[in-house]
Amino acid sequence: MSSLAGRIRRIPSWQVTLGVALLLLGFLVAAQLAAEGPRIRYASQERTGLVDTAQSLQAQQDQLKDQIVSLREQIQRLEHDSAGSQAALRSLNDQLEAARIAAGLIPLTGTGIVLKLEDSAQPVPPDGNEADYLVGASDLRTVVDQLWLAGAEAIAINDERITASTAIIDIGGSVLVNAAYLAGPYDITAIGAADLFDRLSASPGFEELVRTRRGSFGIGVSWAEPANVDVPAFAGSVTLRESRAVASQTPTLPAGPSPHEAVP
Amino acid sequence: MRGLATRRPAGPAAPAAPMRERRNQLTVAAVAFLLGLLVVVQLRAQTAGSALQGRSAQDLTTLVGNLNTQNDRLRTEVGTLQRQLSELQTDHASGATSVGQIQTDLGRIRAWAGLDPVSGRGVTLVVSGQIGAAAVDDLLNELRNAGAEAMAVEDVRVVAATTISGVPGALDVDGFLLRDGFMIRAIGRPETLVGSLTRAGGIVAQLAATSPAATIEVKPNGPNDDPMILPATKRVLVPGHGHPRL
Repeated sequence: MSSLAGRIRRIPSWQVTLGVALLLLGFLVAAQLAAEGPRIRYASQERTGLVDTAQSLQAQQDQLKDQIVSLREQIQRLEHDSAGSQAALRSLNDQLEAARIAAGLIPLTGTGIVLKLEDSAQPVPPDGNEADYLVGASDLRTVVDQLWLAGAEAIAINDERITASTAIIDIGGSVLVNAAYLAGPYDITAIGAADLFDRLSASPGFEELVRTRRGSFGIGVSWAEPANVDVPAFAGSVTLRESRAVASQTPTLPAGPSPHEAVP
Repeated sequence: MRGLATRRPAGPAAPAAPMRERRNQLTVAAVAFLLGLLVVVQLRAQTAGSALQGRSAQDLTTLVGNLNTQNDRLRTEVGTLQRQLSELQTDHASGATSVGQIQTDLGRIRAWAGLDPVSGRGVTLVVSGQIGAAAVDDLLNELRNAGAEAMAVEDVRVVAATTISGVPGALDVDGFLLRDGFMIRAIGRPETLVGSLTRAGGIVAQLAATSPAATIEVKPNGPNDDPMILPATKRVLVPGHGHPRL
């Protein structure tokens, strides 16, 4: 033993450094190869160009959304500071603020939950469907629907606010929300009452999602209840091209879960 | 022999030692370079772009098309907001009132959010036979994706929190019962909406296969038809638990 220790001590330090570096090198090569395993690779010049184009368009979209949020903030400030009859303007601005909140154009904070959905880490069996092991648009739509039914007031997926115009779609294993390309894991933030999670976890729809997607395919479903949840503003277009507003005075129902007894 | 062996390092080995040291350093440097390269590749692979690497050319083409359409919409929105801001700044500088502008902005946002009724052309889907809640949800999702500006299921205006639940034959839309045979109306460019719904392999074709008990008729609302009028939502959309983040 002592001769072995002696021999180890006699190994030059550069050889130790080289050994450690080669070990890391091997680990990284293995990690790189493993990372490419689960998803099919398509190799062509055309595809590489398309990936670059998609990434560039997504970067442009992020910039445009930042610009929209900034412009809306400037407009909001100026409208608040506008001259004219102060009482009339105050009333108008209050209505505008309420409409912006209702439309999802203002970031909100409050009690709520954060759910995380992740692709399965399980290997896809030879006779299995790879899509079953990935988080898809239908999973996200189910969670969003169940959150609304549980009484959520505002929801976002990876910082994309869910509004009346939000579509959640699959494109070959990718998910688009508000036409923005999102990569997993998916953080779904929802503002609601302090018991939002209790109501969600008691709903049969959510129970079924957890049972079928986590239980059968290993889709990661986890959640947290931080003291405060932030939901960002919708940064998309609210321009109406085909619609014209028709003024009306509409009676209102309480917010929250749908009143199931109100069947006409 | 022993004497020779012990003397040898003193002669030619003296200049060989720095050479060997240099070679060792070069080896370590080369390995370190490879290591750095792989670390960068691995880190880049963790970014969103890497997920795109596994997509087919067809999927990427669809993704690029979606991103292009959305970016065009966003550019139009930026233009509208820039004009609005410029007019407000002019009014502000001259001390003029901006009530008219604020009212226009208010009307636009209320209509978009579903707080006011809206009218316009679009498409009507007549659904007959038994259909599930998920299928109706799929139809609404497809209409949104095709650019519908406002939608209603029968007389229930679809807003962000609108959900379809229940069983076929007794679906529930925001608390209102939907029996077999109902209409979904959507305002938007009729050609785009119809094209998106009825394309080969589109949602109507998919539902014909998965919900054979139901039929979906797609009727565009043309320029010669009366414009559709969709009602305002009856929900209160002002949150009770969330408040604006400053």
